[in-house]
Amino acid sequence: MIESTAIMIVIALGMWGYARSRSDDSAQRGTTLGWQTLKRTLPLLILAFVIVGYVKVLAPQDTVRSWIGPDSGFRGVLIGILAGMLLPGGPYVVFPLVAALYHSGAGLGPTLAMIVSWSALALLTISFELPFLGWRFSVLRLSLGLFAPLLVGLIGWLFIVG
Amino acid sequence: MGRWIPDRTTLFLLAVVIVLAGLAWMQGGLPAVVDGISSGANELLRVTPMLLAAFLVAGLTQVLVSREVIERWLGSGAGWSGILLACLGGALIPGGPYVYYPIAGALLGSGAGLGVLVAFISAKNLWSITRLPYEFALLGARLTLIRYAVTFLLPPLFGLVAEAVFGSKIDSIRGAMR
Repeated sequence: MIESTAIMIVIALGMWGYARSRSDDSAQRGTTLGWQTLKRTLPLLILAFVIVGYVKVLAPQDTVRSWIGPDSGFRGVLIGILAGMLLPGGPYVVFPLVAALYHSGAGLGPTLAMIVSWSALALLTISFELPFLGWRFSVLRLSLGLFAPLLVGLIGWLFIVG
Repeated sequence: MGRWIPDRTTLFLLAVVIVLAGLAWMQGGLPAVVDGISSGANELLRVTPMLLAAFLVAGLTQVLVSREVIERWLGSGAGWSGILLACLGGALIPGGPYVYYPIAGALLGSGAGLGVLVAFISAKNLWSITRLPYEFALLGARLTLIRYAVTFLLPPLFGLVAEAVFGSKIDSIRGAMR
């Protein structure tokens, strides 16, 4: 955790330094943009973390484990994919929830399947794709996209311990 | 993502919080309700330094990557190099679906190849640079590394497969746009 924080801060400072070295207002605009995003998403973040807190306290570890635990197998991966498609909101909402499930006993395969399914197949995103690209394109893109969470989930389940 | 329907998402999360608080109440009364909130607050405080850095990285990425360059890459034709450039564009383009789908739609209308568009959207989904800091901060290094490693080859592969198998159907695909 401390290492990850340090890495992230170094990256942020490096990018900020690079933006500063450009002879325009990139550094200031980028900082402002990040700050505005933070302010706008703060209510969501707080709610998401309250949910995380309740997931921990209520500790439905047995339920989590039996549905999407390390031994839930292929069925767990499928449930993970379905859950990922239904997850609403952006990364700051979805990632803390997935992390809470993972720490409450979800297996690696279902967890990875959930992340990738949310990335590639989220229903709310598909509702944007349809009007702009048409149903033929969406059907094609989604049938290819379905391989992504399946592949990740199966690899996580079968080949990586934990 | 998230930005485009903040109200619906906020309401949904609020409803989930209320249901969970009710469950906690039934299990342990008021102390359990407070416990959940304080446990969540602790967790949030723990990741705050990392989140602040992540938001700064995401903001700077949006400023440093120009949309014009990405649009030019996507227009650069099909084949290997076009698909790889489209992947790079998808990885770098900031913003949610309300940003990249209109661009993709405009490109499909103006004659971009199928493989290029599939590669672009798949890379946005799986290689997104602006999402990476949040993923790293909130899910941890291990899950993030495994996730990127396993899905690394998929965006160009999806682009190539789409082009090879359905590339000749591009006119009817375009026709379904209305």
